[in-house]
Amino acid sequence: MVPLQVLVADDEPVSRTVVGAMLKKAGYPVVYAPDGEQAWQQLSSNDPPTIALLDWEMPGLQGPEVVQRLRQRETSTPTYVILLTSRDSSADIVQGLRAGADDYVTKPANEDELVARVNVGTRVVQLQAALAERVRSLEEALANVKALQTLLPMCAYCKSIRNDQNYWEKVETYFTQHSNVSFTHSYCPNCYERFVRPELEALEDAKAAQDRQRRR
Amino acid sequence: MSAVLDPAVIETLRSLTPPGEPDVLSEVLQLFLTEVPPRIDRLRNAWAAGNIEEVHRAAHSLKGSAGNIGANAFFEVCKELDEKSRSGQADAVGPLVDALGVEYGRVEVEIARLLGAS
Repeated sequence: MVPLQVLVADDEPVSRTVVGAMLKKAGYPVVYAPDGEQAWQQLSSNDPPTIALLDWEMPGLQGPEVVQRLRQRETSTPTYVILLTSRDSSADIVQGLRAGADDYVTKPANEDELVARVNVGTRVVQLQAALAERVRSLEEALANVKALQTLLPMCAYCKSIRNDQNYWEKVETYFTQHSNVSFTHSYCPNCYERFVRPELEALEDAKAAQDRQRRR
Repeated sequence: MSAVLDPAVIETLRSLTPPGEPDVLSEVLQLFLTEVPPRIDRLRNAWAAGNIEEVHRAAHSLKGSAGNIGANAFFEVCKELDEKSRSGQADAVGPLVDALGVEYGRVEVEIARLLGAS
């Protein structure tokens, strides 16, 4: 299991340092943000941390607002967000989860609980990534199935098929590329009569003629 | 009387230091000593100026710092200040602002003792 990068966003330096040290001890690479605005900048960058621990009350952007902004973005790998809060009334917790947070931890954080919840986040993120990959490969397979369901232009004489790039391919090549079909070459009874038998007979005739010549 | 700094919390902080790296406990305690006094000043000034919203913000952030080093008595005062200032109970705030100074004094002495011992 590769440890995922975790962002710890808290304006309160003592708490930020303690939470960061707990996660580092558990093997997580940690980055920090001292307020909501900088947390948002890191989370909306091209290479964002995968898991974010956001303090509820920060100057500027508060934790739930950062989550709301995050959830408005379309992505196949959403950030796993845990809100850090000293509030423990269930109404506040419901508000945080409604804003789009995945979980919450009350402050001051208990080391075992904090690490266990971040581990859960890691599992969820990895499961999500595996599912996204599976969906991607299924979509690719589906695209090929669709290609085989369309009208294929085929040469009436040589039976080549015109592909999407306007290039004529042999039937074998086309189907090998667009499906899991592979070919083994053989002949049908009709073609045996039409092509194979005459060729065999011609070969035998030629051989008989050679033998006759040698005997003379 | 309970300890000024919860021994279990101090032990957890001590255990967070990775091998070969600076001591996390000392780092956190020193951070507390530099970060907390200016915020207590801010809270006192806000109280003197009658700005109860700012009192609430400062009390809330102090509560966070206190909880993280297991300063239980100091934490309780911050928590009450947080609640009373949030609900606008101004007459309860004055005595708590005084108590805050007293409890911080105890925490400061205990931190100095711990830092001296390590």
